[in-house]
Amino acid sequence: MPALVEQPGYAHERLCALTERVPCRETQASTLLALLGEPGHYSYPSIFIYGHRASGKSHVTESILQELELPHAIVSCVECVSAGLLFEQTLVAFFGPEAPSLLPRSSSLSDFVRIYKQLCAQTPACQTRYIVLDRAERLRDMEANLLPGLLRLQELVDDNVTVILLTEIVWDKFRPNTGCLEPLLLHFPDYSKAELQEILVRDYHPAYSPDLYGSFVSILLGVFYSVCRDLRELKHLAALNFSKFCEPLEREEVKESETHKLWRNIEPHLKKAMQTVYLREVSSVQWEQQQQQMEDREAGTLKGLSAYAHVELPYYSKFLLIAAYLASFNPARTDRRFFLKHHGKIKKTNFLKKHEKTSNHLLGPKPFPLDRLLAIFYSVVDSRVAPTASIFSQISSLVTLQLLTQVGHDDQLDAPKYKCAVALDFIQAVSRTVSFDIVKYLYDFL
Amino acid sequence: MSKRKSKESHMTVGECVSQAQKCLRQRFCRQELSTRPMGLESQHKHLLELLRRTAVHGESNSVLIVGPRGSGKTMLLSYVLKELLQEKDVKSNIMLVHLNGLLQTDDRIALKEITRQLNLENVVGDKVFGSFAENLAFLLEALKKGDRHSSRPVIFVLDEFDLFAHHKNQTLLYNLLDVSQSAQAPIAVVGLTCRLDVLELLEKRVKSRFSHRQIHLLSSMGFSQYLETVLSQLSLPADFPDTKFSDEWNANVKKLCEDKSVEDVLRKHFNSSKDFRSLHLLLLLVLGRVTVSNPVIKPADLLEVGRLSSVDSKANILHGVSVLELCLIIAMKHLNDIYEGEPFNFQMVHNEFKKFISRKSHSIHNFEKPVVIKAFEHLQQLELIRPVEACSVKIQRDYQLMKLMLDHTQVMEAIQRYPQCPTDVRQWAFSAFG
Amino acid sequence: MATSSVSKGCFVFKPSSKKRKKNSDVVDYFIEGSDDGEMARIRVNICQRLWDMTKSETEMLQDELNKKILDSLLEFIKKCASSFQSQMNDWASLMRASEIPTAALVLGVNVPDHDMTFQSLSVLLQQSVTPFVVSVQAKECTALKHLMQKVLERLIGVDVAVDDDDEDGGQRSAPVHQKRVHCSLSSLCDWYSSVTKKYETSPGKKRTSMAKDMISKPPIVIIFKDLEAFNPRVLQDFIVICSRYIQKLPLMFIFGIATSPSTIQHMLPHSVSSLLCIELFQSLSCTQHLATVVDKLVLNTEFPFKLSGKVLQVLVSIFLYHDFSVRNFIKGLQLALVEHFHSQPLSVLCCPKKEALDHAQKLSHQEVERIRQLPSFMRYVENQEPQKQVELLTNDGCVKEVCKILMKALRKYHKNYYPILRCLHTLTSSLPKYPLGKQIREIHISCLEKNVWETEEYDSAMQLLKLMAKDELVALLQKCVVILSSSKSKKMKAALGQLQNYLAKFDQLDTLSAEEVMQEAVSPEKDLQKKTDLFQLQKTLLERKETRRTKKMTPFEVLRNQILEFVDSLVRAHLVPPESQPLNEVCYYGSSGVLRRHLNATPRTSIQTALSHPYYYLQHEGLKTDSGTFSNAAPDICIVHKLHLECGRLINLFDWLEAYSTVVSAAEGKDPDSSDYGKVDELKHARFIQAVSELEFLGFVKSTKMKTDHVARLTWGGC
Repeated sequence: MPALVEQPGYAHERLCALTERVPCRETQASTLLALLGEPGHYSYPSIFIYGHRASGKSHVTESILQELELPHAIVSCVECVSAGLLFEQTLVAFFGPEAPSLLPRSSSLSDFVRIYKQLCAQTPACQTRYIVLDRAERLRDMEANLLPGLLRLQELVDDNVTVILLTEIVWDKFRPNTGCLEPLLLHFPDYSKAELQEILVRDYHPAYSPDLYGSFVSILLGVFYSVCRDLRELKHLAALNFSKFCEPLEREEVKESETHKLWRNIEPHLKKAMQTVYLREVSSVQWEQQQQQMEDREAGTLKGLSAYAHVELPYYSKFLLIAAYLASFNPARTDRRFFLKHHGKIKKTNFLKKHEKTSNHLLGPKPFPLDRLLAIFYSVVDSRVAPTASIFSQISSLVTLQLLTQVGHDDQLDAPKYKCAVALDFIQAVSRTVSFDIVKYLYDFL
Repeated sequence: MSKRKSKESHMTVGECVSQAQKCLRQRFCRQELSTRPMGLESQHKHLLELLRRTAVHGESNSVLIVGPRGSGKTMLLSYVLKELLQEKDVKSNIMLVHLNGLLQTDDRIALKEITRQLNLENVVGDKVFGSFAENLAFLLEALKKGDRHSSRPVIFVLDEFDLFAHHKNQTLLYNLLDVSQSAQAPIAVVGLTCRLDVLELLEKRVKSRFSHRQIHLLSSMGFSQYLETVLSQLSLPADFPDTKFSDEWNANVKKLCEDKSVEDVLRKHFNSSKDFRSLHLLLLLVLGRVTVSNPVIKPADLLEVGRLSSVDSKANILHGVSVLELCLIIAMKHLNDIYEGEPFNFQMVHNEFKKFISRKSHSIHNFEKPVVIKAFEHLQQLELIRPVEACSVKIQRDYQLMKLMLDHTQVMEAIQRYPQCPTDVRQWAFSAFG
Repeated sequence: MATSSVSKGCFVFKPSSKKRKKNSDVVDYFIEGSDDGEMARIRVNICQRLWDMTKSETEMLQDELNKKILDSLLEFIKKCASSFQSQMNDWASLMRASEIPTAALVLGVNVPDHDMTFQSLSVLLQQSVTPFVVSVQAKECTALKHLMQKVLERLIGVDVAVDDDDEDGGQRSAPVHQKRVHCSLSSLCDWYSSVTKKYETSPGKKRTSMAKDMISKPPIVIIFKDLEAFNPRVLQDFIVICSRYIQKLPLMFIFGIATSPSTIQHMLPHSVSSLLCIELFQSLSCTQHLATVVDKLVLNTEFPFKLSGKVLQVLVSIFLYHDFSVRNFIKGLQLALVEHFHSQPLSVLCCPKKEALDHAQKLSHQEVERIRQLPSFMRYVENQEPQKQVELLTNDGCVKEVCKILMKALRKYHKNYYPILRCLHTLTSSLPKYPLGKQIREIHISCLEKNVWETEEYDSAMQLLKLMAKDELVALLQKCVVILSSSKSKKMKAALGQLQNYLAKFDQLDTLSAEEVMQEAVSPEKDLQKKTDLFQLQKTLLERKETRRTKKMTPFEVLRNQILEFVDSLVRAHLVPPESQPLNEVCYYGSSGVLRRHLNATPRTSIQTALSHPYYYLQHEGLKTDSGTFSNAAPDICIVHKLHLECGRLINLFDWLEAYSTVVSAAEGKDPDSSDYGKVDELKHARFIQAVSELEFLGFVKSTKMKTDHVARLTWGGC
């Protein structure tokens, strides 16, 4: 594999600058560049680049195209609510801001190709034109002919143009059932530990020496690498914890050299951070505040968003929710046993023999009709409640709060069906506030 | 002679390489043939004959070129047309209309396109036509000059022919084929498709108007032919400016094709797919490795490329997932083993995972449920798992039924290749149940 | 319109009519209710005043309650904006450069109440931070393009063309003359850059129109009012798109969350949430909110209109049991207000002191009569000596005079009532297991109901107080001092004085020596001579006894008992229920039934009564029946309903029809043994079908797929 700098057809200093811009991605960059070939040459109709998030796909591609000043259009497919937008952005990038005015409203692929040809005839390409489509997986949701069409765009517009697709998803998930022109697959592997180290160290804190930051990063990786290889997440974590790491230095207790002491200082905090890796619960600011709080009360675990799980509800809403939970996790046939004061002689044994293999808490909630909900509600709620309008309205507000979900159509006015959409610990917390022992009433825990 | 010398003298290696790149790339990327297509002689002859008849004698006709993707349908056609247009009496006379099922998604657009390509917009102006047939008839009429015989023949090329069959009651196909049947104006309808069952898609009335000529490109070439093709595809043309370089190049290519390891690679590739495009893909990758520093193709390059192109992309993706996600995948695999591939939901997976953690978790941190859910979501985003029915907002995420999109071996291989995978995780993966 | 809390059910949105006009017809309403137009008019005015007063009060309350959270929110946004300004030069923000600053704003489960908050928030933002504030609701953003469109339209203020020729008619394509703005953030970028340039170049009107501290590149704040209701996919895509432009556009989000912040995690996968820099803001719980409202509006001497215990109970229970909506609570209060002034003619006197007095002067004869009929007034009269009684019953002038006095007395009563109530609350609210309740409203209610000191809760509270340690007791008493010192009435001043010198004694305690203690012990004797109150005497005697029995109390204990005695005496003196006060009916509104009917309606029960006892509504003699039996002359639907009650879950239509026709023909008075008795003719059939369809419409039965000729009974109908 030729080194990046010695690609034929490009100015040497440009290539050096490029090499600067893509740390730990030289091989991928050079492969890609080799495939693109010299500006004048023909290039393959479509290239499909896949790899994990934050593995430098779009960065490498963009820096190549920008650094080497190749004519290109970069479009994010998420942004394109309609194919028309995609076409426009492309045309603007290639033929100037006036170009899209030629496109008709709600333009189709054929319009695009037509206009492209027309404009291309006026300003023929001396270099390969590149269309970079980020988040390409979204193309599958658009018109059926779009993806195959773009893949063989070169042939359709009869111009030296290459379409580059960037995505996290493998090509097999893209292929239409009647097949299409197979693009050239290129994989961006995830960064190795060493590479991560190298990249993370690059943005060290100006106030401290790079090697201090380096040692911090190595500690960080030591803790997190096993569970999190996402560069962006690691960066976030680094930003989060570095100030903590530096505290002893601030207090002049240890010198930068004594990394071991520093390690002992930071390690517990990183362990705590493990609890909430991936959930961006706390902004860095609030994190730091909480670190302060933890100084005060040592046993304090950090409170992310998930810590505020409990919800204040009106008294009857709580019972309605409880009733809904029971209705959706208990089989209907068991209601007599649970809620009738003196259910006749139901044999404990044959009642308890479970027909289901797995418990309902694995299979999930079942839908139930309104009648059943209210029946259970009236048997669990202690005081006798008038069936007022506000009781019914509470059910609907529970639905709007997404604590209940309505099954089937909304227009179904008579006998609607619902499902309970809350977790066990949530409902337990709720029932504790009204001193109702829900576990006693759950079939799974009998 | 002296001229040649001087010409060579100012042709440095770099220029040579880039020249070579240029012409080979043209070949691989644009599917342009310098020589007659290998292994398709009969088809080529047939098609050429057919079209010439239309072009020269004004006989209407219709033909389907059927063959799998990348088997060189377009290549063949373009080559034939190139040949045809070289004959001068044809060139002045014939007219071409290229339609593509991907572009002309309905007949209205198609008709516009036809009008444009026959450049008759000004003639049509803003006339309004009752029916499609009338419109087409008018267009063809407009091509006639004077008597019936001298009307200019038109060749309609319908790429992705099968897509046209999905248009509303196949009006376009009906009319074109109808014209090609009745001797109104001399047209040839050439359809290209990769669907062997394409005739089944046609309505009866359309089918009956089709001449039922089909040219199949099921290339029957053996490996020896394949090797020849590779050779011819790689070797530089005679008109290459620098003969010295080209001779060396071609000699090297010859040597390359005789190399044993190279042959193995090619055979492997041949067995997987013998079509041109994939071959071109391979060769292009090889070509990418040719630079000033190594101006020739080494067997090593080919081997490397062969290895790269043969890896499973899912394995690539799996290589990058976190240990936690890997654990989830293992849990799913176990579930699949236990319940014979019944769909599962997050709760079950989490259950398995917790069981594993409780049994032996010194290397794997015991994560909160939200964290695990995030990992699960990531797997779904990578489409390594996919919901059974369309993902609706209503249903809770952790009870949504999922299927694992990986098979047993893929998972195992991934675990083998996984960098610094904790031993107990590996053991868990290989343990028989849960 | 804020109906998202009751999503199904029908709502009437009245057009906002002119104030003047509304006022007038209110007057008519009052007048027709009463017989004296003049007084009615006065009452309307008072009512109007009080109404406005409550309104302004609550608004002020709202603001100061939201103030804290809104301020912190503003702080946050300003900070972010400035970091946008200073091109992220410090390391921390550099690391966070790609994240969109986001505020997760948690405000209770009652969604309709949120609107006010968001209103004030956006106003505040527009005044102090940025002119570019957009708020979007879930139901107007079903798809990404709609969300985009809304945001762009509200920012730029022109129609935005979403190029699609499919379903949604809501889209107006842009007018031809103005250039078509595309529904993408890039066009927003262009717009933003142009606008900001304008600001920088021309510091003319635009600049001045905005606040001084407005920065040159104001952020764009997007408020998602109800996060839960949003479609997650739409939200995710939108965030992803925004994050691509964060370098060019200083974007900022505010999530309005009803349930709990963890919904963010439920909605957004990590790939999206990692684009946000979320900060959490929790609004204070609605129960605290209610407490303040009660404190300001109910426990307020300046506010002449009072609620009786029952009514308050109703309002509070609606709040606690059904909707945590403070707004509804206030509405209920206002309803009670109107009801009171409408139903109670004597409410003319329910107004600030001075007016009350001259209104009392202007009382007409009828009203004087009304006063005489007031039970509380009668009780008062009975306690007077005979000739006074006669005079009161005959002489209007005298009544008016007395009335004035009594009104003053009532005012005094209130003046003393509330401070003492607060004191009692401060003393008892910190006791274990809250014998008298945690919230002041609970004590208030129990005081309104009965003599609080006769309840055992009160006794237990007192016992607990008797066990209290010195320092806490002192602390509580200090609080009481503060409360009392705020009130101006003489009695309270006196009480304050006593309390203070008790506290002084506490300070001396440690210096006190034994014989002083003895002196302390007898000290009650002195004031025993002073006070000739029998009650007091007994008490002190009792106390003496027990002091003897419990030999050797520490001086502190003695002092503590004395103080508690004192407090107790205050309670007994001032916390008597208002029923005991003459003329309390003037100010107190007591008919809780009416209120409950209005605020917490039970439509289904009323329908059932209508169907089962048509007489109750129709008042037709023919329908009058003794309980249990059922007149067969009742309307068809009633009969059908009655019959359907006797059936099981599935009802066979034919049997039903048979039964129906029998009943009806009985009503027609056919003789039972005639041939066509109970025979079904077209007319009966038609009537039956109509009745059944009406029942179905009312949601009592519904057709079922299980059996074609059957209908299913619905217990609860739909909701």
